[in-house]
Amino acid sequence: MASPIRHLSSHLSLQLRQHGLRRGLTTTARRNVASPFVMPALSPTMTEGTISSWKLKEGDTFSAGDVLLEIETDKAQMDVPAYDDGVLAKIIVKAGPKAVQVGSRIAVLAEQGDDLASLEVPPEKDTKSGSGASTREEKVDEKNPRRYTRSPREEYGSGVVGSSARSVPDTARARRACTPSPSVAHLIKEHKISEHDVSAITTTGPKGRLLKGDILAYLGRISKAHLRELEGRIHKLEKLDLSNIKIAPPKKDVGKSAKQATEKPVVDEEKELKLEVSFGEVLKVQNKLQSALGIHLPLSTFISKATTRANHSLPPVSSASDIFDELLNLPYTTPPRPAKFQPKITALPIPPPHSPTAGADILDILTGAAPATTPAVKRTLGIAASGPNVISLTVKSAKEEESGRLFLEKLKGFLENDPGELVL
Amino acid sequence: MLKSFVLRHSSRSLLRPLSAKAGGYAPSTFLLVQKRGLESEAEEHDVVVIGGGPGGYVAAIKAAQEGLKTACVEKRGALGGTCLNVGCIPSKSLLNNSHIYHQILHDVKNRGIDVGDVKLNLTQMMKAKEQSVSGLTKGIEFLFKRNGVDYVKGTGTIAGEHEIRVSPLDGGEPQTLRAKNIIIATGSEATPFTGLEIDEKRIITSTGAIALTEVPEKMVVIGGGIIGLEMGSVWSRLGSEVTVVEYLGAIGGPGMDAEMAKTMQRILQKQGMKFKLNTKVMGGDVESDNIKINVESAKDGKSEAIDADVVLVAIGRRPYTAGLGLENVGIEVDERGRIVIDQEYRTKIPHIRVIGDVTFGAMLAHKAEEEGIAAVEYIKKGYGHVNYGAIPSVMYTHPEAAWVGQTEQEVKATGKAYNIGSFPFSANSRAKTNLDNTEGMVKFITDKETDRILGIHIIGPNAGEMIAEGVLAMEYGASSEDIGRTSHAHPTLSEAFKEAAMAAFSKPIHA
Repeated sequence: MASPIRHLSSHLSLQLRQHGLRRGLTTTARRNVASPFVMPALSPTMTEGTISSWKLKEGDTFSAGDVLLEIETDKAQMDVPAYDDGVLAKIIVKAGPKAVQVGSRIAVLAEQGDDLASLEVPPEKDTKSGSGASTREEKVDEKNPRRYTRSPREEYGSGVVGSSARSVPDTARARRACTPSPSVAHLIKEHKISEHDVSAITTTGPKGRLLKGDILAYLGRISKAHLRELEGRIHKLEKLDLSNIKIAPPKKDVGKSAKQATEKPVVDEEKELKLEVSFGEVLKVQNKLQSALGIHLPLSTFISKATTRANHSLPPVSSASDIFDELLNLPYTTPPRPAKFQPKITALPIPPPHSPTAGADILDILTGAAPATTPAVKRTLGIAASGPNVISLTVKSAKEEESGRLFLEKLKGFLENDPGELVL
Repeated sequence: MLKSFVLRHSSRSLLRPLSAKAGGYAPSTFLLVQKRGLESEAEEHDVVVIGGGPGGYVAAIKAAQEGLKTACVEKRGALGGTCLNVGCIPSKSLLNNSHIYHQILHDVKNRGIDVGDVKLNLTQMMKAKEQSVSGLTKGIEFLFKRNGVDYVKGTGTIAGEHEIRVSPLDGGEPQTLRAKNIIIATGSEATPFTGLEIDEKRIITSTGAIALTEVPEKMVVIGGGIIGLEMGSVWSRLGSEVTVVEYLGAIGGPGMDAEMAKTMQRILQKQGMKFKLNTKVMGGDVESDNIKINVESAKDGKSEAIDADVVLVAIGRRPYTAGLGLENVGIEVDERGRIVIDQEYRTKIPHIRVIGDVTFGAMLAHKAEEEGIAAVEYIKKGYGHVNYGAIPSVMYTHPEAAWVGQTEQEVKATGKAYNIGSFPFSANSRAKTNLDNTEGMVKFITDKETDRILGIHIIGPNAGEMIAEGVLAMEYGASSEDIGRTSHAHPTLSEAFKEAAMAAFSKPIHA
């Protein structure tokens, strides 16, 4: 998407404007002043060229697109077209074998209708040495070789901007009510709001712009509170979201820096979330199935089904910043919401110390040696069928914590309310 | 304007030497005198940009234009970064040309054009792509010369707070650049998929996907985001059987409006692409003549194996900071490798700033460019501007998808009332005459009370161009009525844009 061509053209227009402004400031009368026409640079590397032939005589008028002359360089022979209508007032360098430096004056152009006899021919500026200004001008022209072939009125057309900028005071232009958007203008007219009243309306648009909503609030159609709330919301989105940055731990191995940097700190902010859950309903369904169909479904089936479902019911990424982060980003390796939660189920009170799984995990967590992924759903080991149980979950960051909590609640919901649905 | 002009005069023309390589312009004695200045080695740059991608090169040019003595360090050997060399630009060449091929095969007959034997010449198609790329990268080099940016070819490592050590590409002696300000713009790289080793031949990233030497019979794309869908489209049009495996429940990535993602999926399915959503890739078996990708449904845990000749890993990108030497000056990264900055792109060393993919925000070339300009403006003027609420996203499938602002699901989550105004291209005259994919639509999301535009989503031919109007509207805080009351030429696709706006605050005329 980043095309240099685009930059080139924007650059060019910028140069044009600057040039025009400069002209506007230094020249008062544009009428009847001829402008120099210099040897154009037809390629970035061209430094000089010879004029093969002039296609026009002095005094001839031309229209945009007409070929003015033919130039030969060491590489090619090229036609130079006019970029605007005009008159060829004077030819300074005639066709011939002598090489002409890019940037030196070869002709004088005037506008159609200009009196050539009384035409003021500006003296040629010395482009070789001299002041910074003329060097600067030469450089600008090198950059935009084609511009040289434009006639002055077109080229410095923005000089008009320069002069109007001088005549219109800044304060007048700053009045926001001067340029209402179509909807705003419509409402102002429709409701005959006076200019004075318009200027008193509180604005909520970018850089103080008056918006349709501002008028609607002024008319009492919507609440000002809503307007302020919306403005705040949009203002927040305009900023790069740098909240909740989790700094990666300092790296030791310089060589592996990039790789390590992208890895998540596993141990740092691990936290265990817990929620009580009752398996009463599950047991009822289990018994029903056993008696009706003669099938025994282990508790673990219910838990794993509920786990899958709870994982799926987690909402999509919750904030706009996350969505921006994830756009073209890393949905797999660096999930802002966890890929999948795997809960542990233990009976309450905490299982006896001889329970090897639970013991090992806690120790691992404490010593920081916990494996990156905790083993899948624990078997029914340690589950108290009728009494209260605890489902627990290890999360790795504060960001995960939020969805972890939600996950636990969903899981509890699935297990306690109509667990039959899970297996049917 | 006047101010910048004066500044440029006083500080730039007189003090900033042109690069020695900037030859080709009329050499004047004035310039020759200046060249000597550059040859003294201890000379300090005002700005050194590390990385010559869309963020870095734009920052470098802008800095030079602001009259700052600027160098840009790039190790690829060509400017333009991922975007120009192996990303946006080459993929667009292939997308455009594969679309023409596909159209000739399947579409032009209906338009009354009978074409004889149509053959694909992949070698030539790749050559056309390379021409576009080299033309553009050389164009940037030229812009560097024109603006007087010193282009340093080599790997830049931050050695000190004001020092960049550059190991030249040609293997010469390392040189040290001194800089008053440093802008880091080192970009990102494709995130690898654990368990599948990238060889860029059969297991490929986007880099390999723009350089395949033959059309694979079967292609599996891991990741249904923008990159996966674009590259999948290219090879699908050229004849591959493409299966996209996506872990989430929708294509297009989480930034895409859910309704649009559904529509897009339907359209692409019609074009022959297959989708496996809510599906997790468990791993793959790479054999000499075949690759098996093992997937598991995230819904019911059912697993299966998909055959592939080529597997495209397009699961996202991650910040690239290898060898940058952040640790030498203690600059921090976050847990995802993004360099930590403040709102003015400063690291904790204030004269070292960071822009683009290597830091926070969407990984988009145009976002990096905006930041490059803003970072330079902060250095030069103390104020820069990027509106993160109005950065467009475009997916260059056919039809294209483009959007700006918030999605409907995001707006819904705020709990505030909103209006939807949509208009189908099937009711647009120009789309009808073009016989071009009239399945798409324009969709406006506006605040119900104020009518202010919150988001615009388009699927349709040239959506990527059309979204510019939406971005401008949002930048100015426009209401849908502002657009509805603005004249749009007839008959153009842009009328659909206007009608959708009218649908949001009132009623469309043509639906």
